[in-house]
Amino acid sequence: MLALSVASSSIVSGVLLGGMLALAALGLSIVLGVMRLVNLAHGDFLLVGAYAGFFFFTFTGVDPLLGLPVIALFVAALAIPVYRYLLQPLAERGAEAQMMTMFAISIILENVFVLAFSADTRSIGVSYAALPLTLGPVTVPLVYVIGFAISLVAILAVHWLIARTAFGRDLRASAADAEAAATIGVDVNRVRMLTFALGVACAGIGGTLIGTAFQFSPSSGGAYLLNSLAIVVLGGLGNVLGTLFGGLALGALQSVGGLALGDGYRDLVGMAIFLLVLAFRPEGFARGRR
Amino acid sequence: MKREKIAPAPREAAVILVAFAVLWFAPAFIGEYGLQLGFRTLIYLTLAEGWNLMAGSAGLVSLGTSCFVGLGAYVAYGLLNGLDLPLPAALVVCALSGAALAALVSPALFRLRGLYFTVGTLALAELLRLIMINVSAFGGATGFFLKNDPPALPILFRYALAVAVIAALAATLCVRTRASVILRSVRDDEDAAAQMGVRPFRVKLAAFMLASALAAMAGAVQAVKLGAIEPYGMFGLQWSIDVLTMVIIGGVGARLGPLVGALFVIALGEALADYPEAHIAIAGVILIVLIRFAPRGIVGLAAALGRAARGRALA
Repeated sequence: MLALSVASSSIVSGVLLGGMLALAALGLSIVLGVMRLVNLAHGDFLLVGAYAGFFFFTFTGVDPLLGLPVIALFVAALAIPVYRYLLQPLAERGAEAQMMTMFAISIILENVFVLAFSADTRSIGVSYAALPLTLGPVTVPLVYVIGFAISLVAILAVHWLIARTAFGRDLRASAADAEAAATIGVDVNRVRMLTFALGVACAGIGGTLIGTAFQFSPSSGGAYLLNSLAIVVLGGLGNVLGTLFGGLALGALQSVGGLALGDGYRDLVGMAIFLLVLAFRPEGFARGRR
Repeated sequence: MKREKIAPAPREAAVILVAFAVLWFAPAFIGEYGLQLGFRTLIYLTLAEGWNLMAGSAGLVSLGTSCFVGLGAYVAYGLLNGLDLPLPAALVVCALSGAALAALVSPALFRLRGLYFTVGTLALAELLRLIMINVSAFGGATGFFLKNDPPALPILFRYALAVAVIAALAATLCVRTRASVILRSVRDDEDAAAQMGVRPFRVKLAAFMLASALAAMAGAVQAVKLGAIEPYGMFGLQWSIDVLTMVIIGGVGARLGPLVGALFVIALGEALADYPEAHIAIAGVILIVLIRFAPRGIVGLAAALGRAARGRALA
């Protein structure tokens, strides 16, 4: 009974964490879809959100989850000049130049974090961080549930934005065929800039959520980038709800891997899934519109 | 397409071999510090030649150098400690295992036109590192010690030199012979190349396998010099960062790019040795500036300046 409780709690925790990471993965996915860019600094923008939440809480004392809109705008505001001055001038030069620029930004951010905030591991210490929530045999931290719920709402909001609004129509058109979209009057450049900002903001919100539930350090970015990528390929590129389910699946599988083999195997499971899916099912598991 | 001047392969190979012969006797003259720097430069040069071959000739941007450096290190220790193999024989097996791993993972990494190659190599490096950390048979987080004492530094320098010369000759073979045309056709337009009867998958795989074999040999020599290995260092992302930085700074696709880049990165590292974080951040800024304003790196910049100077002289 105890073993069952531990196992089910662990798997539910994993699913909840996967749901939080799915938001960050969604940001990666829309940037990949619209700009054909694997944002190698995505994990570091996630950390920007985590640090922003940390310092927001430290200095204002206001719950960082209430401050999420401010944090999202702050991270998005950082993304716009990055796009405008670093990525846009490279637009005609193919995917590699932009990707390597983002890689450079990634290593700069990581080391700026160390210089500015030290290499210490931190977490956002909200008052309810340690409170448990019990339902039958399942006991999970309350912050996981809150973070998951917020992530879910944000993912559905992005889904609505892409599926139902005029901006979403332009975004889908630019993702499908940028040249054709431009000929019918879509300002592809503006769409790309806003998509990049939206994608990075998703990482920032995800970062605050993850920073509330877990510890983070300047070097955590790489693992978050790779786990987000695993979610993207699991869910299928450009599929918003697929990304959500990819996140839940990855979270559950990582927990199962951790339970079966030991905690050190959690991230290993993520990497293995990423490479296996790429090898055997690169279109992902969710069948949906690309 | 612009016609690129192609220096004859035999002449370039001769230059490399002369450099090899001269450097072979360097340990007698350059002292301990010089040997240390020279050793590092040669290891970096080997890695950079392989990376440049992939990126410059086949359009494959790798973040997985550390994966093959680490693999070479672990395979070498297994062979030297477990089987008492002599180092040259172990190096050959390391090269083969690097190429084999590259072939094994290529179906996953070449998906979606290389969009996933970069992150796939990154994930592979992380996967291997986590395996080494978690599986106690591979030494876990503490790693292994070399059973016998490593050879003296001058001997190790010559091993690094030999590996670097193999890398340089391989690069010459690939970019100064007919193979270069095939490689470049795949880089520039995969579809057109396929229609002309080139098989893009095989060409990219060959470049990836060759570069991986070179990285595994470099990793093995580096590991023997250290005398002990652990997964965080041998599979550290820093290898991948350094190599990418070197080739972009030197000039992607330029024959001298890896050498110039390796010298630049080593010099920068020496200058900022006391400020490791600032060092990496500055390297990142240099990368961004060069990618934007001098995509052909220092070598490309020097060539452009040379042309401009000649133009002025004629006018």
